[in-house]
Amino acid sequence: MNSEDIKNILNQKFADKLKEAKITGFEPSLIVEKDSLIEICKYARESDSLLFNLLSCMSGADYADRFEVVYLLFSFTHKHKLSLKVQLNKENPEVESVTSIWQGANWYEREIAELFGIKFKNHPDPRPILLPENWNEGYPMRKDWEGKDFKRMPEFK
Amino acid sequence: MSQEISELHTEEFFVNMGPQHPSTHGVLRLLLKMDGEVVLDMVPHIGYLHRSLEKIAENRTYLQFIPFTDRIDYVSAMFCNQSFCMAVEKLANIPVPERAEYIRVIMVELNRIASHLIWLGTFSLDLGAITPFLYCFREREMILDLFEMTCGQRMTFNYMRVGGLSRDILPEFVSKAKEFVNYFLPRVDEYEDILTNNPIFLSRTKGIGILDQKTAIDQGVTGPSLRGTGLKWDLRKEEPYSVYHKFNFEIPTAKNSDVWDRYIVRIREMRESAKIVRQVLEGIPEGPVKTKTPAVFKPPEGEVYSRIEAPRGEMGFYIVSDGSPKPYRVKIRTGSFSNLTVLPIISRGWKIADLVAIFGSIDVVLPEVDR
Repeated sequence: MNSEDIKNILNQKFADKLKEAKITGFEPSLIVEKDSLIEICKYARESDSLLFNLLSCMSGADYADRFEVVYLLFSFTHKHKLSLKVQLNKENPEVESVTSIWQGANWYEREIAELFGIKFKNHPDPRPILLPENWNEGYPMRKDWEGKDFKRMPEFK
Repeated sequence: MSQEISELHTEEFFVNMGPQHPSTHGVLRLLLKMDGEVVLDMVPHIGYLHRSLEKIAENRTYLQFIPFTDRIDYVSAMFCNQSFCMAVEKLANIPVPERAEYIRVIMVELNRIASHLIWLGTFSLDLGAITPFLYCFREREMILDLFEMTCGQRMTFNYMRVGGLSRDILPEFVSKAKEFVNYFLPRVDEYEDILTNNPIFLSRTKGIGILDQKTAIDQGVTGPSLRGTGLKWDLRKEEPYSVYHKFNFEIPTAKNSDVWDRYIVRIREMRESAKIVRQVLEGIPEGPVKTKTPAVFKPPEGEVYSRIEAPRGEMGFYIVSDGSPKPYRVKIRTGSFSNLTVLPIISRGWKIADLVAIFGSIDVVLPEVDR
């Protein structure tokens, strides 16, 4: 199935909850409304025409006005791709965990939660994963983070 | 007396395996819940090698970050180089000269052999066979010599650039590499003679640590461990990048999904890689090895995800660019990170000695897990 078809299928069902995005190399890319993420992910995972059974990668990102969580999905059966994004507000970044849909999301979500401070609701195992046990210097992947020994490189013009 | 023994108090207990343990090949702590010698449950603790490469990337230019990619997986650094450069090339739409693509394929396939050789050597060492370890490192040394000849480094190459390579191969490289491939193919038979049908090896690996395909896909396992479950999936064939579509090679699979199957898949992959190298060496086109990029390189705004087939599964870079000389966000997707998540599932119920074999068979490199 090509990327237009996938977009059409999803648009038919969730038309008002999707917006266009662009991730080169992983089309189609869609921005999903936060509250319908689980519903859409479940549909993408289970419906016969889509069957996205691999969560290839998950990433967080910190922008000036929002946080983003990116889900890169792939189907071994149909060999097609889809990337989904949710946008979260700065004050209280919180999103439903997709671990119940893809087990592989478990560690990715723990990593994002620890490094970006994004909370994943209903995560089965919300322990920290990468940083030292006694870490208390905040969320290092945030853009405004200032660590003790952290120095920025000079700007290039 | 026998009554006394049957009334002995027994209980489950916890054991720390690692962070420093010879069979974890790096710094990994496995918290094991044991019943005698049987592993009941396990929690892997990672992060001992976390260097925050993703944060470093935001603070460096694209070119400055290439040497850091070598440190993601030092055993197969060429793949990290290639993966990162490919992602940036896709983002900025930079063409790569054909000669550079050919040389990249030679380098990564040689690196795949070197990486599988390290795995085979240490894996057999874990199981008590010392001879294959010495053989493997003997052959790996020759590959490292070829790398040293080309880019001056043996482990962390920093060889590839956005738009091509840092330098061309030497004229004598082709004949040396051909010589190596001809020497190497019979050596694989030699490893197989020692291990494949060895009764001790078989009893340590056959039927142990079964990873069924559904679990593997659900957990995001890729690479030889996934092919060991019978799924014929290789990005080189299914989503041909670089110039892989020009060469003939097989994708080895196995169907029992046990430790032995993951072993045999990697053995066969080494042969296929050697065959690819031989084919590429036959027809390297002439021409430049790098597209000119500006000294202060600024890719356009945008996002990209690009993935390649590394020795430990899918390796991908998700890059967000805001149009400045430094990447806004770099996410590194590595095979080992996802592959390690199945370890608690497949080692439940096996003895601790089998755990060593199972852990060896999924081929995890810890710096790649922690990044």
